[in-house]
Amino acid sequence: MQIQRTNIPAKILIYLVLLIMLLFTLIPILFMVTSSMMTSRQILRMPFSWIPEGINWINFTKAIRGLDNNYVFLRNILNSLIVSSSVAITTVLLASLTGYGLAKFNFRGRNTVFMMIMGTMMIPFETIMIPLYMVVTMLHIQNTYVGLILPFLVSAFGIFQMRQYLTTFPTEFLDAARVDGMGEFGIYAKIVLPNCKPVIATLSILSFRGQWDNLLWPLLVSQSAKMKTIPQYISAFAEEKATDEGAMMAAALIASLPMFILFMSLTKYFIGGSSVYESRKG
Amino acid sequence: MRTRKYRGIERKQARWGFLFVLPAMLFFSLFNFYPILNAFYTSFFNRKVLSRAKPAFVGLDNYARLFDISRAANPLSFYNSLKATITFTLGTFIPLLILSLILAVFISNLSSNRAKKFLQISYYAPAVLSSVVAASIWMIIFDPRGLANQWLNVLMRTPGVDRKWLVDPMMEQMSTMIIYFWKYIGYFVILFITGLASIPPTLYEAATIDGANKSQTFWRITLPLLKPTVVLVSVMSMLQCLKTFSTQYMLYTNGAPRAPINVITFNIYITGIQEQYLSRASAMSVVLFIIMMLLTLLQFKTTKSENVDY
Amino acid sequence: MKKTLVILLLISMLLPLSLFAAGTKEDKVDASKPVTVNYWTHEDPARTTLETELIEQFMKENPNITVVRTTNPSSKQIEVVQTAFAAKQGPDMFNLPIENQYAYISNGLVAPVDYQAAGYKNEQDLLDKYVDGVLDTVTVGGEVYGLPLELTNWAIYINKRVFRSVGLDAERDYPKTWEEMADISEKLVIRDGDILLRRGFDFRYPYYLEFFIPMVEQLGGDLLSADGKKAIIGDDAWIGALRFMQQWGPLGRNLGSPTYKNARSLFNQDNNDIAMTHSGLYQEARIKSDNPEFYDSMDWMVIPFPVFENAVRNVAACYYGHFFMVNADSDPAVQKAAWKLAGFMLSHGEDYLTRGGSIIQPTKALFASDTLKNMPYSQVFIDDMARAHMIYYGENSAQIQQHIRQAIESVMLSGESPEKAVATLRAAVQEVIDEQ
Repeated sequence: MQIQRTNIPAKILIYLVLLIMLLFTLIPILFMVTSSMMTSRQILRMPFSWIPEGINWINFTKAIRGLDNNYVFLRNILNSLIVSSSVAITTVLLASLTGYGLAKFNFRGRNTVFMMIMGTMMIPFETIMIPLYMVVTMLHIQNTYVGLILPFLVSAFGIFQMRQYLTTFPTEFLDAARVDGMGEFGIYAKIVLPNCKPVIATLSILSFRGQWDNLLWPLLVSQSAKMKTIPQYISAFAEEKATDEGAMMAAALIASLPMFILFMSLTKYFIGGSSVYESRKG
Repeated sequence: MRTRKYRGIERKQARWGFLFVLPAMLFFSLFNFYPILNAFYTSFFNRKVLSRAKPAFVGLDNYARLFDISRAANPLSFYNSLKATITFTLGTFIPLLILSLILAVFISNLSSNRAKKFLQISYYAPAVLSSVVAASIWMIIFDPRGLANQWLNVLMRTPGVDRKWLVDPMMEQMSTMIIYFWKYIGYFVILFITGLASIPPTLYEAATIDGANKSQTFWRITLPLLKPTVVLVSVMSMLQCLKTFSTQYMLYTNGAPRAPINVITFNIYITGIQEQYLSRASAMSVVLFIIMMLLTLLQFKTTKSENVDY
Repeated sequence: MKKTLVILLLISMLLPLSLFAAGTKEDKVDASKPVTVNYWTHEDPARTTLETELIEQFMKENPNITVVRTTNPSSKQIEVVQTAFAAKQGPDMFNLPIENQYAYISNGLVAPVDYQAAGYKNEQDLLDKYVDGVLDTVTVGGEVYGLPLELTNWAIYINKRVFRSVGLDAERDYPKTWEEMADISEKLVIRDGDILLRRGFDFRYPYYLEFFIPMVEQLGGDLLSADGKKAIIGDDAWIGALRFMQQWGPLGRNLGSPTYKNARSLFNQDNNDIAMTHSGLYQEARIKSDNPEFYDSMDWMVIPFPVFENAVRNVAACYYGHFFMVNADSDPAVQKAAWKLAGFMLSHGEDYLTRGGSIIQPTKALFASDTLKNMPYSQVFIDDMARAHMIYYGENSAQIQQHIRQAIESVMLSGESPEKAVATLRAAVQEVIDEQ
């Protein structure tokens, strides 16, 4: 959509709106960064001065040292990374497998199965929280990585995405491969999967992000400090150190770094990847 | 469902299809269906978290209690939760829908690709933070001595006025909406941009040749073609709003009043985990589940009837 | 087609059930020598250091016992222990505030004290060691179910520097009544418009069972009737107390509010943003570690809990306790080891006082000891404890505190009339009581 005639007032309006929105989204993040370098006195001083008076490194030391002085924060970051990556991988694999089955095969009850899977997207987590915990303890995987990962092994949303995407996958290729004698699983692994790259990228990022953010489940399952994840650490830190805003923001900053790094290096997939909603033609 | 005869290769394929789907089904049955059935079952008893005694069957009592009119005046009642949830959901998802569309249109109008990319990245940045981090940042901003008061006072030339962001019931609700809006706006802007990009430019060219002005182009061509995206965005944003939890949780544990932000998810958590009324919490969850299901079905129904072809 | 579908559904439903048919008991720890005790407690850096040291010593003396100590933030600790127990995976040993612990006793989830393992000759020996009445709260049916980790009450800390800055001498001018507390806070407050930059005193929100109930009792009201059947006794007292809170908050004299940063965390920093706070003896240890200069200067003091001008009863803030309790579901060998651990750690009462977070163990020995007497202002705490009672610790205390919180928030922050708030509160608490 090109603006044919230069309509100055309209242009100004557009720029203004975009600018205001830009400020709105970025200022709190900037606030987090500058505050992490200040003492709480400076942060809550009125008026707020954006330039920190030197870097208050002690905030970062406090943030990493943790409430018990045991530097468990680093381990928590590692836990979040492990859990989020594992969930990303498993959701992609299982979503593609299931989506493929739903898109390209006809079997009895296919639509019902699809409906049921979609239905699970509407189950609020709080509902199944306690029974889920009992399942996990029954399997003796509480306070383990497996316990953190298992309930999120499959993503209904991912299945939905994959199915949409694969519905338009040319069946001729599949049939050709079958004629060539390739086994069904081989077809999936060697033909379907490699051609799903954009969806796989988007899905894995979404899953990763979703798990990174998860507070409620690790709260129940990770009981020992060593197995806790970042959101738990931050909320505990917030409660105990609520009056030390500098240290809090330092912890928040450190906790956000991995996601930011991921984001900046893979922006293409965060933004361009949404093109999964276009239907593939031919 | 149409009945078809399955033979030979088709039958073999059907089996494979079934096999491919099986892992997910097993997973869901253990980690989704069983728990929700369990919750449903629990809602008919009066189970308390720590009690080892056999819970008594109370039938529909828990549900009756939820919808008991005489308790509607109680600020912590389920009626109030419904109200709080509706306020939050409508107050967040409508601005999200409208503004993300407007912003997407504006961005698509820009000539510089770099500007487009930059803006999308910046708008999306809050979504990269975890909700707990987002809430902790905004709690400092909403502190009486924080940025929100300072800036608003400067803008409105009212020095020293405390807007009571986390204290006054209405302001508190607004604060949660602001935080949530801030977090998700970028995500929906991107969805709309993608949707807009999938409209072939030839259509616009044809419209301009036909003499249509910008406004007509937007309302008659862009918007109708954008319908699938609009529906997708509304469903997703509405469901997302119904699932809100950490924002309310963080505010409450830092001293903010509970009643205005006692959305259903939060009520479930407090009733079940803190107050230990497991069965009541289960009843609430079932109601929430039904609400979400109905809303989704409703929105999907409206999609089916409007498939615009070009 | 339908048949396959039905079969599919049945399988997906039956599968999880068959998993559970295998039985609900978790694996029993081997009855032979090596045992592991999972000990969950709440966070407190000073106590952690002490207990880690004690545990190491304990494990050396008992090579067959391994202790795994896990901490959680105080509020999360309550939920985490609960959830674990709900799934029959509770820790072997844990502690919680008594008002959250009682439910475990009444539901039969914790085991009675193993007197010998804990180092006592018998039950009477245990009762003799501790201050009279302290163990009553955890004694049911003649058996004691917990060993006291701490008994805490809160008094008022004053930052003398802030008092001086407005020309007051804390030693002479400290508030003795709540009315004085409000007036003095008014003098100490610094505001920018509506916004409080410095507060005088502020309450220990949201622990209303601790401080608000005594305020009501001072005015002649009660939480429950003597027989425990009726809720919210003495309308005038309740309305009076609520009105005081309303006057205190942003809709009244604007002296403080639950949404400002909590006073006890700010106090140690001596940042000129708070003059008084409401906390326990353990606060002294925290001042010392957070701000040694402030601690050593002794520019702080502790005064008793104020009383209303027209009070009919002289009641101080309630005291509460933390008790070590042992999971009744744990293997008997583990239970024994846990009691042994508890007894061992608790025998170091003086260490807990001096370097374990300044917590008071209610043993007769400690109360008579010089160590306690030598702690600054300990007499204030002891005297306050004498005119106070144990916090309400009934099974549903958490819900009741929720309702009180709601009542106070509604009058302080939403402008509800105290009369209406009391009526709502009575209905809510009565419902909770009736269920018990």
